[in-house]
Amino acid sequence: MIICSRCGKENQDQFKYCLGCGSKLQVAVPAPEDPFRATPVAPEPAPLGMAKTFSPPPPTALADPESAVAFQATRFQAPAPAAAAVVRPVASPGSAPHVVRASGAIGGQRTAPTSTGPASAPSRAPTPAAGQEASRPRPVTSQQDATAAASRLATAPTAWRPGGASTAAPIPSAAAGPRVSVAAVQAPVRSTGQPSPSVAPPAPVGAAAAYPLATAAPIPPAASGPTLCPRCGNPVSTGFAFCGACGHRMKPAAGAVVEAALEQAAALAPEPVKATVRGQLTLIRPDGTEGGSHPLHQGENLVGRGQGHLFDSDPYLSPRHAEFVLTEAGLEVRDLRSLNGVFVKLTQEETLESGDTLRIGQELLRFDAISPPSPLEDGTEIIGTPNPGYWGRLSVIVGRDVDGPAFPLFDETVVLGRERGDILFPEDGYVSGTHAQITLRDGHVYLTDLGSSNGTFLRVRDARAVSSGSLLLMGQQLFRVAHQ
Amino acid sequence: MSTKPCPTCGNPVPIGDRFCGQCGTRIEVPSAPNPNAGVGKTMFFSGVQAAGIAKLVVVKANSADGLAYELGGTEHMVGRTEGAILFAEDPLVSPRHANFFYRDGKLLVRDEGSINGVFVRIRTPTRLESGSVFLVGEQLLQIEALAPDFGPQPDAEGTYFYASPKRASKMRVVQRLRGGEIGLIVRARGDSVTLGREENDLNFPDDPFISGRHAEVTIAPDGVFTVNDLGSKNGTFVRITDESPLEHGDYVFLGQQLLRVEIS
Repeated sequence: MIICSRCGKENQDQFKYCLGCGSKLQVAVPAPEDPFRATPVAPEPAPLGMAKTFSPPPPTALADPESAVAFQATRFQAPAPAAAAVVRPVASPGSAPHVVRASGAIGGQRTAPTSTGPASAPSRAPTPAAGQEASRPRPVTSQQDATAAASRLATAPTAWRPGGASTAAPIPSAAAGPRVSVAAVQAPVRSTGQPSPSVAPPAPVGAAAAYPLATAAPIPPAASGPTLCPRCGNPVSTGFAFCGACGHRMKPAAGAVVEAALEQAAALAPEPVKATVRGQLTLIRPDGTEGGSHPLHQGENLVGRGQGHLFDSDPYLSPRHAEFVLTEAGLEVRDLRSLNGVFVKLTQEETLESGDTLRIGQELLRFDAISPPSPLEDGTEIIGTPNPGYWGRLSVIVGRDVDGPAFPLFDETVVLGRERGDILFPEDGYVSGTHAQITLRDGHVYLTDLGSSNGTFLRVRDARAVSSGSLLLMGQQLFRVAHQ
Repeated sequence: MSTKPCPTCGNPVPIGDRFCGQCGTRIEVPSAPNPNAGVGKTMFFSGVQAAGIAKLVVVKANSADGLAYELGGTEHMVGRTEGAILFAEDPLVSPRHANFFYRDGKLLVRDEGSINGVFVRIRTPTRLESGSVFLVGEQLLQIEALAPDFGPQPDAEGTYFYASPKRASKMRVVQRLRGGEIGLIVRARGDSVTLGREENDLNFPDDPFISGRHAEVTIAPDGVFTVNDLGSKNGTFVRITDESPLEHGDYVFLGQQLLRVEIS
């Protein structure tokens, strides 16, 4: 039984969010709400630290961010995590322990613990280099405290060992991966347990990292006080689950770690069927295997970057991306005006409307109807090439509001493919020889998949019912929907 | 025997010849003034054109001359419903479309804010700004410089936009359909695009008015375009931005009306 720290409601142990108020539940270990205040209580945090470091490897789906790119790996790596790291504002770097938004975690970082982690860690160990590392666009969490910690280490390496964390310390560094020194303590937390970089709140990681130090050296004052919202920068009181200014979800401090571990367990083990869980989204990896699942509860289920470990590493997901509404009538998915939308894989012929967006292979295409010319108010018609009978146009979208090549649709059936057809994408290896077709019939336009290997996907306009077994493309990942 | 310059090479061609003796270009106007041509039509002093006074000759689809309008005043408004020269049946001509006027003894044409603009046939490589339109055959094409691509950038929420893979390109050609819709869009692979009926970067095999190799558009590093006619039969026309001087032998498109300028 977990008692919600916010509203006091009792929740079952496996719950991650309070049934009463939606707050993230702080599980198991009586995690102090304010890690900084709690730090003096030396021994207690230690197990916590251990737990983090030794928490099981991340779900395999996340182990390799590149492969997490369901569908088409090569292409999706494009915006390298590094880039993300550069652009993404680390929440007020100056104001210290607010780790987080470690952009990079979006892609590269997660590899650390599983792959190179233990091996490379020692070599890079506790040197002041941590500071440099922090300045690089490396995905790592804002190294603020790590840096501080590292320098502390460097200057007084012995100082912290005697502390309560002494047992924990060496181990984390071993498991830490390419991160640095004390950052090691913090890195694995993120990498193994905390898969939501973008949402990762200021406090938790920093707190964890600061822990061992706390016993030996006092934490800089900057470490305490309200955390800053990673999205809007508004100070948020510790323990609040949401930013008061913008509504951004803040993860609870120390609880996050355990909670993350639970998430992993949940991902590795089959999802326990609870009364309210009536469906799930299963991640389908590029090789066709399953990469974990996300439960769908009765009612509304928000999906987005920061809403679950399956989604947190995908920079193509909006924070509020889509909503799955599960009712007795079935499951409906609503696109919450996300940047990249929700696409459903075609299983039958679908109607195309002007402005619809579709995906074949790596190509993002938009269909527009071409209407016959009509005169302006003063009776003038707009000059141009006489229309030989084009009834529509298919544009390749090459950027936000940027069209690349565009192909007029002339015949009543237009075949898209890599090798054969009317509109060819010879350079896209994910497009089948003949892939899909667009048909004009009785004044309506239809899209059909022609047995392609990777499928044809149509963007959900606003909302649509999805049946169990449907495949959905959200961000760069492919999910299979299942519900009762 | 009087001559007129070949529209392609400028060689003087005797009036009445149907092909240029130097380059072989078909001369569209077998313009031996036929005294009977004006029977049943309005003719403006065709026999006694005063020196320095220009004439606009409507070129018909069959290359024969239609009406000729003598520009005897100082300003000559052309429009569908207003002006001295009316094309009431042409829906592509704005109510007030263009003005042919003299300044310092020179003839000029000015776009009077028409919807569809005034197109003048180019004689030499002509500079165009990004976004300009020009005519080759029946094709109304727009050229646009493309901004350099700085790679994916996240939006305010930190989300990246998924887009199709693309090749870097400096410019694109957009086909504008009658009515304003976009037909096709082609992104250039290099610094220039050749246009024509066949064996060009961009081909319009079904356009009967386009030459095999018709025109070429080149982009300079500063993003300014140059359009060059490659000796096409029907010429390449660019839309003028404000006003443009006219010379003898120039061709002007107003809506669907092709006008030849004759200045004695």
